[in-house]
Amino acid sequence: MGALEVARTGGARTQLGEGASHEGFLRHKSFFWLKVSVALCAVATLAYLLVDQQPRPSGGSFYGYAMGTLGLLLILWLTLLGLRKRAMTSGRWSLKAWTSAHVYLGLSLVVIVTLHTGFQLGWNVHSLAYGLMMLVILSGIYGISVYHGLPRALSNSRAEMTRPQMIDTVMKLDRQLQNAAQPLDQAETLIVRRSLDDKPFRAGTLRRISGANARCPTMRALAEMRRRKALASGQEVEAIETVIGLLERKSAALARIRKHLQIKALLEVWLYVHVPLTFALIAALVAHIVSVFFYW
Amino acid sequence: MAFLIRTISHSAEGREIVRPSRVEGDRLTIGRDPACNIHLTDLAVALRHATVDHRAGRLRVQVEQGLTVELNGHKLNLGHIELATGGDMLIASHLLRFMPTPAGSDEIAVDVERVSEGEAKLDKSSERLFSLASVMPSKRLTAWLLVLLVLGVGLAWPIQAFRERHQRQDRAASFARFQADELWSSGHLSAAHARLQHDCSACHVKPFESVRDTACLACHKDIHGHGDPYRLARAQPELSGWGSFQLRVKQAFNLPPGRCIDCHTEHQGPQVMPPTPQHFCSDCHADLKAKLPDTRIGNVADFGHAHPEFRPVVIAGWNGPRPLFRQVSLAAAPSEDSGLKFPHAMHLSHGNGVAQMARRLGSAYGFGEALACRDCHVRTPDGVRFQPVSMKENCSMCHSLAFERVGGTLRTLRHGEPDQVVADLREYYRGRSLPAPPSFGPLARRRPGSAVDYEERVRFAAGAAAAGSADRAIRAVFSPGGACYDCHRVIAPPPGSLDYRIAPVAFPVRYMHKGWFDHRPHATESCQTCHQAEHSQSASDVMLPGIATCRSCHGGERTSKPVASSCAMCHDYHMDRGVPAMVIRQRVRGKQRDTAVLRAEEAGMPGGDSRAGPDPAR
Repeated sequence: MGALEVARTGGARTQLGEGASHEGFLRHKSFFWLKVSVALCAVATLAYLLVDQQPRPSGGSFYGYAMGTLGLLLILWLTLLGLRKRAMTSGRWSLKAWTSAHVYLGLSLVVIVTLHTGFQLGWNVHSLAYGLMMLVILSGIYGISVYHGLPRALSNSRAEMTRPQMIDTVMKLDRQLQNAAQPLDQAETLIVRRSLDDKPFRAGTLRRISGANARCPTMRALAEMRRRKALASGQEVEAIETVIGLLERKSAALARIRKHLQIKALLEVWLYVHVPLTFALIAALVAHIVSVFFYW
Repeated sequence: MAFLIRTISHSAEGREIVRPSRVEGDRLTIGRDPACNIHLTDLAVALRHATVDHRAGRLRVQVEQGLTVELNGHKLNLGHIELATGGDMLIASHLLRFMPTPAGSDEIAVDVERVSEGEAKLDKSSERLFSLASVMPSKRLTAWLLVLLVLGVGLAWPIQAFRERHQRQDRAASFARFQADELWSSGHLSAAHARLQHDCSACHVKPFESVRDTACLACHKDIHGHGDPYRLARAQPELSGWGSFQLRVKQAFNLPPGRCIDCHTEHQGPQVMPPTPQHFCSDCHADLKAKLPDTRIGNVADFGHAHPEFRPVVIAGWNGPRPLFRQVSLAAAPSEDSGLKFPHAMHLSHGNGVAQMARRLGSAYGFGEALACRDCHVRTPDGVRFQPVSMKENCSMCHSLAFERVGGTLRTLRHGEPDQVVADLREYYRGRSLPAPPSFGPLARRRPGSAVDYEERVRFAAGAAAAGSADRAIRAVFSPGGACYDCHRVIAPPPGSLDYRIAPVAFPVRYMHKGWFDHRPHATESCQTCHQAEHSQSASDVMLPGIATCRSCHGGERTSKPVASSCAMCHDYHMDRGVPAMVIRQRVRGKQRDTAVLRAEEAGMPGGDSRAGPDPAR
């Protein structure tokens, strides 16, 4: 990509393209947008301290309206990342630059909009918009923090397998279990069948995030079969041993899937807060602005 | 010719297991029957599902009647595979891959693999299975629901409440309970307006129109404006660049300047209005003369260094019984015509007859070694000012008008009624022959030594009688040395008449009508600190302190003096006669009280309303 970049611009650029050495969106252009954001916050805070807002700082003062307008424009622009991310480009307005600005300008809203409120909060639509914005920002901060470490953990948890292979492994073990369980009596086959009916993907969001396996039928079947092995005799012991071996392998395969599900859920869950709440925030902003002018 | 069959399966870990076998001949049978060359253990496969024959460089595939195979993606009953290119045959869950065979080779390689049911589908769906998207409601759906919820509660519901209120005639009924448009309230109303919290429309009358003064005046009917709006507009200071930008923005957003709520902001919580900053006044008043040349108000920028000398309203003269008031600067050393003769210095002296008398009467009236201010000047009930002195309450403690004792009761001349004085004296002398007193009567009045010194007073009247004429006594009372003449201006009667009149008397209770002064906070000082009464020889002295006296303690808004005094300490924007709003808020926190004033008439003297003054000067 770097070579392409150089070729396309006719060698005008002397530096290596972005692909040459990885620089994440947080460090993009040696924290350019972080600096912009800090400067913005500093100016806003300084103005807050210097401007005499009578009778007290509030969103209704001249300063308040200025900060409110700035905040609104920033929020609308930040929302556009949802459109922008679907078109990857490079260069000055690359998606990476855009994302970097999204993160740092989004964080600056904490200062800008809080100063806009003049620290006046209550049970009304205005504070609703503020609360929603803070939730969106908090979920965004969470998102950045998980993006920092979890993708590597996700990759490690796969143990060189593709996701279909993980599923396939369990399915094959299920087939083998079915065969191996043929000699077992009715009660024992029931235990095995519970393991066969287990659907690890049916776990809901909370169970995925917690990685809980307390209700895992395979684990229970394993424990039960081990108990029965001690009581069994003759040919049955052999069959049970085979089943136990298979259940142990299935249990390990399931644990891998569960770990993978957990990391993936941790990685994705914030977007289910961040995105819908962003739209709720825009709706609340509409109510906030219309109400201000309605009762002008 | 031979078929080389490789049966491929996978271990649980995904390892590939290959079992090769060889079938000699040109025919290959495929089915569930173990006797078939390729044995497929799938219930969906028939016992003898298909046969493959090698004929001249191609393979002929024939499927049992009524069944099909998928040959290179096409479902067929009968088909061919070119050996040179090879081909895939799918039977139920098994894939038979015939490898391309070069011409001349006598071995045809066939891979047999069980493709798990819909593995291709699994590849695509596994991403989704692992993703939260498989168990969470879609972001788009959640977003839409939240948007509808927020707009419904935060916008539609309050608008509905507003419309309902406007359609209903009986608005008062709804004030008692929560209204949805309160969700729009950005903060609590001030304590004074707390009762309006459920009635947004009390102030927000029309949608998308800023709150207008008419809404305020609907309740505040008797509030004073600051002045003629036209003159107020002319007095406005020149706007700076930033100021005119702000003004233009406000006008663009339909916010006319100069509305009540510019100062009386609302929805800021139950807090008290902040003190009016000095620049709020000085913006116009610092250079008012230049903008309104006809104004009678001097330029003011700061009490400490840019405030004109006080201009009290004094009684400048009389028009018959009515006092004529005039506002005059203390710098012009004004004099006042109250109609009374009263030297303060004599009454406050420590070494004259007055002091002597004070000592004698001290036990009865609580005087000290000499008379003090408080012996005559009584505070108004609120303590702000002093009541006018009156003959009955104050002067008569020493200045008795008694002239006869009837039993245990002293007869006195009637104060304030010269006609009655004349009549009483005539009646007293009618048909009597009384011995003359050793001294001429009226002089006895000049030493009003004792209230119990009846005999001396009675002798005064007797002395008059010795002259044999009531007329003489009457003339004596109204003449120099007489009881009336000492304190009052006597209007002489026409020649041959005894129709004496007394000039009217009045005392202003309040001199500064545009500014507020309260004596209570100044009680730490003695009266003489500000009022030079002990040097005043005449009642015409206006003993008000000048601004220099005030400035010894009071400075402007920012000052090194002990008391920082912005305009609002003495003046109100909404001018009235009461306490400035700032002072009320700071101290009284209650109902605005005006000073109770005793009128001059009540004190027994004719005279004008001492509170009446000229119209407020602009």
